[in-house]
Amino acid sequence: MELKPIINVKELHFAYHKHTVLNGVNFSLNKGEVVSLLGPNGCGKSTLIRLILKLIHAKKGDILINNKMINDYSHKEIAQHIAYIPQYHNVPFNYSVLEMVMMGRVSKLGFLASPSKKDKEIAYESLRSIGIDDLSSRPFGQLSGGQKQMVLLARALTQEVNTFIMDEPVSGLDYGNQIRLLELISKLSRQGYTFLKTTHYPDHALLVSSRVVAMNEGKIIADGKPENVITSEMINQVYGIGANLIKHEEYTRCLPIFNKGIL
Amino acid sequence: MTQIKTIALLSTTMTALVTIALVSMLLGQYPIDFTTLIGYIDFKLFGGDSNDTYALLDNIILQIRLPRILLAILIGASLATSGAAFQAMFVNPLVSPGILGVLAGAAFGAALGMLISEQWYIVQALAFIFGFIAVGLAVLIGSMVTNSRSTIMLVLGGVISGSLFTALLSVVKYVADPYSTLPAIVYWLMGSLTMADLHGVLLISIPMLLGILGMIMMGKYFDILSLGDEEAKALGINVAMVRAAAIILATLTSSLSVVMAGMIGWVGLIIPHIIRMAIGPSHRLLMPLSAIIGAIFLLLADSISRLAFSVEIPLGIITSLIGIPIFIIVLKNARAAWN
Repeated sequence: MELKPIINVKELHFAYHKHTVLNGVNFSLNKGEVVSLLGPNGCGKSTLIRLILKLIHAKKGDILINNKMINDYSHKEIAQHIAYIPQYHNVPFNYSVLEMVMMGRVSKLGFLASPSKKDKEIAYESLRSIGIDDLSSRPFGQLSGGQKQMVLLARALTQEVNTFIMDEPVSGLDYGNQIRLLELISKLSRQGYTFLKTTHYPDHALLVSSRVVAMNEGKIIADGKPENVITSEMINQVYGIGANLIKHEEYTRCLPIFNKGIL
Repeated sequence: MTQIKTIALLSTTMTALVTIALVSMLLGQYPIDFTTLIGYIDFKLFGGDSNDTYALLDNIILQIRLPRILLAILIGASLATSGAAFQAMFVNPLVSPGILGVLAGAAFGAALGMLISEQWYIVQALAFIFGFIAVGLAVLIGSMVTNSRSTIMLVLGGVISGSLFTALLSVVKYVADPYSTLPAIVYWLMGSLTMADLHGVLLISIPMLLGILGMIMMGKYFDILSLGDEEAKALGINVAMVRAAAIILATLTSSLSVVMAGMIGWVGLIIPHIIRMAIGPSHRLLMPLSAIIGAIFLLLADSISRLAFSVEIPLGIITSLIGIPIFIIVLKNARAAWN
């Protein structure tokens, strides 16, 4: 199958003050893929996705979205191609779930236009497709972490784009919600959506990714099929711990080696 | 909220505002009955029958009460919409027009104007200029300390800028003539609508109404801005432009309110809170309702100010005395929502 690149990153360099964060990153995201960015804290994964969303600007290197330079896009135009799902968070004003989800429509509206009945229907449809339409009138602030993350995903669906970028989507969620969210990502990817997500869990990357990109110290150190990238050597190199990769049913699972240590 | 409910809510509150304005026109040292007022309006607008008392009403209504009522409506609406806009911009339900130092800057400018000139337009121009300088300084301090345009640093910049202009205002008061200029500055700073004249009010109403309408139209962007800069950008908002436009509009309207009536506190803080408690936080409805309810609030406060006692109590004192207990109630009830 021919790969159709949505995002292309070429020789990207980025530094905060004098601290180098990205050091010559080359990366692409193709249509239909689920790519997991893996790496330790501070390796540059979050910086890479923030650069792709034009939330910050690179000093050197190119980012292309659908073969067009990122600087030629306004934020509104990027939002018409890519939806960003941040980690769930608190909002200072207690919007209802429906109001939160409707905010995904803003990139489709003109300057003076108010959301129409159709926009509202799209918002309801997004909530239904994730199975949380019963939450629509609840205050967002009173939801559990898992529910909030689902609402942010529903909001991304209302943007009517095919590419989603998620920053640590399971962060802060309980075990059940972590797995349910991964299942939802897997389901949406089978419906044709493309995902780029950062994760701290090699095991999660093995469950839902079509490709894994491992980063360390501002560079991509491996890029390929999950089973090829996530190896005992890679875990040891990136995280400094041992791990066993075990085949269980149709998935390879990653089990870290627990060292009790010597007192 | 459905569209029908929204329209019903806006038209009910608007009717309440008009009714209160009409009633307030009847009340004062010289009471006017409702039939006379209707006859007078008919005479003025549609050329109805004349009456001997209408010459007197020309003076009382057109020269005294109408300008004052219009100014109360304009200032109440500006302060409340500016407050709601600032709260959305700073992602902080506890800020008000004073936070960027606008009120202090404008007050210093106006006091300086009173000190150096007797020309009212110089007072207005200086209030205006220093209102904007105060915001500029707040933004400068906010962005000097850190490269990222942090909301907290901007608020801190506003606090510093506000304190600076309050200190400078004290210097002006200190050197002002204690028998003429100082009492004028002090009385004006307490907040008063007594200086309103119809021509001046109509003139100032153009920029004020444009500012208020501009902020109302930005409602849907304020919702998104309140999620934080990065999320707002990712949803497709030009954050820098929306924020700059909101700062300019909110500063313009609040500086003009200081020029016309001194420093009137609490309106910008409590009105958006009360509305948020009643109908929720969506700015598409919060902004127009803030304008209407802010206008009603200040109109009522001004009526108390001129009617409650034989001498007029400065408006700023009335809004503080009403505003503080309301804010305590709101604070207690709203705490759960913020957490």
